[in-house]
Amino acid sequence: MSDGSSSGRNAGARRGIAGVGGYAPRFRLTAEAVTEAWGQFHGAGISSTAVPDADEDTLTMAYEAASRALSAADVDPASVAGLTIGTTTPPVEEEAMAPRLASTLGLDESIRSRQLTGSTRAGVDALAAGLDMGATRPDVDAARPVLVVASDAPRGAPDDEIEHAGGAGAAALVLAAEAPGTVTDLAEHVSPYPGTRFRGHGEAETTGLGVTSYDRTAFTETVAAAVDALDADPAAADAVALQSPNGKLPYRAAGPLGVETDAIHRGTVVGDLGDLGAASPLFGLAAAIDDGADRALLVGYGSGGGATAAEVSHDGIPVEMTREGDEELSYGEYLRMRGDITPGEPAGGGAYVSVPSWRRTIPQRHRLRAGRCPDCGALAFPPEGACNDCGGLVEYEPVELPGTGTVEAVTVIGQGGAPPEFVDQQARSGAYASAVVALDGPDAADGADGEEGGTNDGAVSIPAQVVGTDPTAVTVGDRVAATIRRIYTQEGVTRYGFKMQPIDRTTISLSSPGSIDI
Amino acid sequence: MPDAYVIGAGQTAFGAFPERSYRDLFREAYEHALDSVDRPPDTDEVDEAVVGSLGVGGRQLGLSGPAVTEHVGLHNVPCARIENACAAGGSAVRRAVQAIESGMADLALAGGYEVMTDMSDDVTKYWLGVSGETEWERLTGTTFSGVYAQMASAYLAEYDATVEDFGRVAVKNHENGAKNPKAHLDFTCTLEDAVEAPAVAAPLNLYHCCPTSDGAAVALLASGDVVDEYTDERVRVAGVGAASGRVGLADRESYTAIPASETAAETAYERAGVGPEDLSFAEVHDCFAIAELLAYEDLGFCDRGEAPRLLREGVTDPDGDLPVNTSGGLKSKGHPIGATGTGQVVEAFDQMTGRAGDRQLDDTRYGLIHNVGGSGGATVVHVFENEEGGR
Repeated sequence: MSDGSSSGRNAGARRGIAGVGGYAPRFRLTAEAVTEAWGQFHGAGISSTAVPDADEDTLTMAYEAASRALSAADVDPASVAGLTIGTTTPPVEEEAMAPRLASTLGLDESIRSRQLTGSTRAGVDALAAGLDMGATRPDVDAARPVLVVASDAPRGAPDDEIEHAGGAGAAALVLAAEAPGTVTDLAEHVSPYPGTRFRGHGEAETTGLGVTSYDRTAFTETVAAAVDALDADPAAADAVALQSPNGKLPYRAAGPLGVETDAIHRGTVVGDLGDLGAASPLFGLAAAIDDGADRALLVGYGSGGGATAAEVSHDGIPVEMTREGDEELSYGEYLRMRGDITPGEPAGGGAYVSVPSWRRTIPQRHRLRAGRCPDCGALAFPPEGACNDCGGLVEYEPVELPGTGTVEAVTVIGQGGAPPEFVDQQARSGAYASAVVALDGPDAADGADGEEGGTNDGAVSIPAQVVGTDPTAVTVGDRVAATIRRIYTQEGVTRYGFKMQPIDRTTISLSSPGSIDI
Repeated sequence: MPDAYVIGAGQTAFGAFPERSYRDLFREAYEHALDSVDRPPDTDEVDEAVVGSLGVGGRQLGLSGPAVTEHVGLHNVPCARIENACAAGGSAVRRAVQAIESGMADLALAGGYEVMTDMSDDVTKYWLGVSGETEWERLTGTTFSGVYAQMASAYLAEYDATVEDFGRVAVKNHENGAKNPKAHLDFTCTLEDAVEAPAVAAPLNLYHCCPTSDGAAVALLASGDVVDEYTDERVRVAGVGAASGRVGLADRESYTAIPASETAAETAYERAGVGPEDLSFAEVHDCFAIAELLAYEDLGFCDRGEAPRLLREGVTDPDGDLPVNTSGGLKSKGHPIGATGTGQVVEAFDQMTGRAGDRQLDDTRYGLIHNVGGSGGATVVHVFENEEGGR
């Protein structure tokens, strides 16, 4: 044990890991595409990186991963007592993600929430903070689950290694009592290594001094010290989910850590997803568990420098993960999608929806809360105004919908067809599908699928974009399920709300209590 | 209850006139309307003025109604502007008819005006989109082309129709509009042009969409008590119907019909004592090609799903049984939002008084005009009768 290390401690006594979720966007930028543009590629050991769609960010990816973890753990979102989030690239530098993430997931507003940032170590630290909610917060009912989410999308200067390695993705863990997984040990270590990776105030690009041997020493020495502080035997782990800023650095640490490179390989996803920043180790853990690893070492590292190490053992943690890419981007398409070369929203005015009035509709935007007419029983969405069915001016009873539905009408908005608020989305990711979708009623979980091509009883129709697929492939009759995406940003405030995606791309549906597994 | 008669109607050319003011456009339309009356009234004889405008393009000007009527010397005439999106003009005509039928006015003016092209395309799109459901529908990234395209997708899925049928609307209406000196787009197109044009909002392409136009149109209406003082050409307002519908498409019971058009048409036919089989011609609201197909069915020209057949068989061509949009329609004549409905009155009046030039029809006994706001949130249908018995 070296100076500066906290002692190993048993932090998992109260909660274990009940479920794991992972999510990576469907777009990929290959090393070849970058090489074609720049003549070289600096992402060592990386063949492709995941690229978020124009309407995705670390909050929407966090939703995707967290909803999968909750589904995998079979945990009612309303029972969750705590939420911890780790990211180095929150959607805005100041303004907490947790309230909106909790709202989209259907968590109770009484949750304890913490957001960790400023270091790629924030993801594993979010796990440590989540475990602390059981160990050191007696006011948090230990019987209730805690949700841990890491979501990140690091960027660098166009021609540097941080940018070439930068990927996007999110991983989430549900911590709960009597869970199949246990965090048997946890340890931390800090050591002053300035300059290896940093981002100044107001800057979008992360950078570093690029002193290769210094960077390598900072990494290997710090992670090895944290692992050394564990009581566990590193060599006993059959997978090591180690911070992966690129595809080579984690393997450099094999010797100092005393682990096999095979074990590192099993817990490393940087090769096809890129550097996932704060989400890197947790996503690696998700992949290792999914791959059947029984005992895993989890090591987060962040510049500064510091490391957090944990040992995880389990007998069958359920995993739900969406990580496959299905569309490769050219470098030009990549620059468009990231918004680097697009013009942003044109000036105008028009159909302005103020933030206060948007807030009024958050239960609908985030959780598809519909209403049931007390007079005739018809569903209404949004649950405002006279009943579409009987015409009664009623007070609707709240109804949570399962979030699945059927496309009834659809168009593809091509270039020039987007209203100005959507010009940026159009410029970044191209044509998009805008549809009318008949949402299944709350009884759909019993198997009453919406009939194809028309309005069906027990359903309610809504306008919605259909994302996550080629827009021209969306047709009347398609089955879709809700997710959360950015709707648009005005006055610097991003409005998040539901969009639909093909049902086979979703493993979950929106929140309680009508949730179904598809 | 006195009957209402159209004693005159006139319009500017529809087109792109970015340097002209809305008052200037209104003045020209007003002067054309006065000129079309056999014995034009003095300004102090006008009892009521109702004008339609979405808002002078993107400018939400207050008091633009009196601003145009006072500009042409209609001093002290009560005037109100109606906002009913693209149905503002038709709604203004209906209000003028009501003023006359109620006995409050012997002579009423219905007008409309819009200036759309002096703004950037982006700003125009902002304003075109505000006439839909703006809190939910527009926030899926749609403008009107998108919403009508969704209707088109549902229509294609439900009926034996193809995008070629949409193209047939463009071919016919451009053919008609090319003969209309007031039309915005004066060219003709082939079915191949209309099918292969660039997509705007699939399945609709550029030739399935009307242009954004500037223009003004004015109709002068008189009560049956005084009509003979002004004209011998008696174009009677035989029936009027109007209705509203859910502003957002997803809230409607059908995406392959505009229920408010059906209701407005039923009312107008009932009041006129005629049916669609009695019509000699019609001007329908073809902002998008699919809208003309829906109009055929909503207005009772044919059964559901039969609109493509009417187009394929040329039933609505100028030499067919029921010519539709001899003016060129919104597609070719143009669509200056607030002026479109009164512009339809101009075509009906011209056809019924023999002023339609190269577009003149032989039989003009009964004519129908159909004006839709948004994607079907407001509709107005007028049936006119040529009391001379048609030409």
